[in-house]
Amino acid sequence: MINTTSMKHIRLVKAGTILCLFLLAIAFQTATAQSSELTADEILDKVDDLYRGDSSQGTMTMTIKTEHWTRELTLEYWSLGKEKSLFRILAPKKEKGTATLKCDRDIWNYLPKVNRTIKLPSSMMSQSWMGSHFTNDDLVKESRFTDDYTFEKSFDGERDGQNIIEITCIPHEDAAVVWGKVIVIVEQDSFIPLEISYYDEDMELARTMRFSDVKDIGDRKLPVSMIVIPADKPDESTEVTYDEINFNVEIDEEFFSLRNLQDR
Amino acid sequence: MLSIRLAWRNLWRNKRRTLITLLALAVNTAVLITTFALMDGYIENAVRYATDLLTGEAQIHANEYLEDHSLYKTIDNPDEIIAKAKSHGINASPRVYGFGLLSVGNKSAGVMFEGVNPELDKQAFTLHEHLQGDGRFVSNKADKGMVLGKKLAKTLNVKIGSEIIAVVQAADGSLGTDIYTVSGILKTAGEKLDRSTAICHIDDFRELFVMENAVHEIALNSFRGVELEEIKPLLGTTIDGLEFKTWRQLNPSLSQMVDMSHVGMGIFATIFFIVAGLGVMNTMLMATYDRIREFGILKAIGTSPMAIIRDILVEAMMMSVIAICIGFVLGLATSYYLSIHGIDMSGVGGDVTFAGIAFDPIWKAVIHPASFIEPMAMMCVISVLASIYPAVIAARLKPVEAMNHV
Repeated sequence: MINTTSMKHIRLVKAGTILCLFLLAIAFQTATAQSSELTADEILDKVDDLYRGDSSQGTMTMTIKTEHWTRELTLEYWSLGKEKSLFRILAPKKEKGTATLKCDRDIWNYLPKVNRTIKLPSSMMSQSWMGSHFTNDDLVKESRFTDDYTFEKSFDGERDGQNIIEITCIPHEDAAVVWGKVIVIVEQDSFIPLEISYYDEDMELARTMRFSDVKDIGDRKLPVSMIVIPADKPDESTEVTYDEINFNVEIDEEFFSLRNLQDR
Repeated sequence: MLSIRLAWRNLWRNKRRTLITLLALAVNTAVLITTFALMDGYIENAVRYATDLLTGEAQIHANEYLEDHSLYKTIDNPDEIIAKAKSHGINASPRVYGFGLLSVGNKSAGVMFEGVNPELDKQAFTLHEHLQGDGRFVSNKADKGMVLGKKLAKTLNVKIGSEIIAVVQAADGSLGTDIYTVSGILKTAGEKLDRSTAICHIDDFRELFVMENAVHEIALNSFRGVELEEIKPLLGTTIDGLEFKTWRQLNPSLSQMVDMSHVGMGIFATIFFIVAGLGVMNTMLMATYDRIREFGILKAIGTSPMAIIRDILVEAMMMSVIAICIGFVLGLATSYYLSIHGIDMSGVGGDVTFAGIAFDPIWKAVIHPASFIEPMAMMCVISVLASIYPAVIAARLKPVEAMNHV
């Protein structure tokens, strides 16, 4: 079982991870003018490489809609590379101070009401939880895309009035991946992500992630809003909007400690 | 009277043969009685564990609750149903369930939280007595006490008095957290309960999950005071629009096992009866052949075939009655012994569980008049039926041929 906060955190981290990936992809693209000649593997492999070692800090608003409730959370987050991240809830009041630390493949939650830190059991990692549109595994997954998937540019051209590249990712037979297929759609020139669709092992659509609201953040262009919609519950969604993002902030590994999870 | 005296004398003409048959019949009866008593004990134990521990004879849920155990599928009128059940002498226990995480130090486990009303649950079920050592059940007043399944307590490495953290997603989507104290640890009670159940007071649960007044399940148990089929009609319109299921529907594999046990017993008993019948037939047939000349004379002096049949049947009946009396005493003694001491099955396979239900490892017999009368009456009938064939042979003898028989 995972609590609300960490679910949100998971969504956030996942969202953050993907966003960061694409941010870096964009950064990479601007550096190499002929990027569109790269194969899908190369693009995402370089994204993987570039992503490592990056750090960021920011605040975000998360709106979760389910059949039974709708809530909005404000969070502050810090991340260092792919391995470490920390999230802290700023609002609403009931959960204020609740924090999640992701360190390699482990997840800890600090619960201010009971003043305790708990570790999420590994048996919970691959599960999807009540109303959750993400799994814990989304949060801790660190393996490279090319380790787990075979890539293929399945479409390159105009679709619905937009120039896009569609990349179909099929997992290797022995890869520890829960998806049967992942389809990534990016804008043709900028490589800004537009949509990612996740298919389960029966090749049924499981969830869709859509990116929107492209803004200039520092010297980059990126979508600051993303929404996740589970395929079986189209009325439910989790929307994340970045209110503030800072890249390459001064932050060291010590910051991501259990001690820091509670303090501050 | 004459035929009884005749039969008695005839029986003891060949003492050894009669005694052997008598003994075989007696042992047969005794074994049948004991087996019936043991099977009754087994089934009763199974049903008792299936119902009295916590499942109840029947359960009521909101429609489709059992499909996904959704937090939001609650029963609207629990108090009305409970009152109605009580008025018919059926104990009712309201419960709430929710999935969550329990954590102690570095150890955590996903659990099914179960909120109970301890006062009502103690009246209806025996789970509160099913605790290890000096543990206590959830107190009547909500005091954040928690009872854990056996394997769950082991996973979390907690003892009675340990502090545990509960983390859940509450019904309003918020994060519910609280500190509980382990007040008791259950004995083996089936896989699901052992591994993932954490029981607390219904009010504590409602606070944790932010669910005022919610009830997901009402478990009913009359300790067999009310027939299973009677329960639903007794509740009338109070359960309209809700799902009503008896334990047989809730645990079909156990229900099937109980039915299969009856079938198995039937087959077992049939074999015994056939063997017993053949034994009697053999004795009576031999006795008839021994006495062919006598029957010839009897017929020659005008005895009717019916009288001969009657004599032989009385003889068989007398033998079986004596044997059954001995068998009854033997069987009663064995059953009585087994109903008190039982057979210790723990050496065979440790904790005994079947269909998710834990059984008492001591297999005890249960003495029901039915489990005596049935085999005894059947044995008597079979003995008489088995003697018809020899009796008919005797009755149809031709006097002259019979008298010349060597």
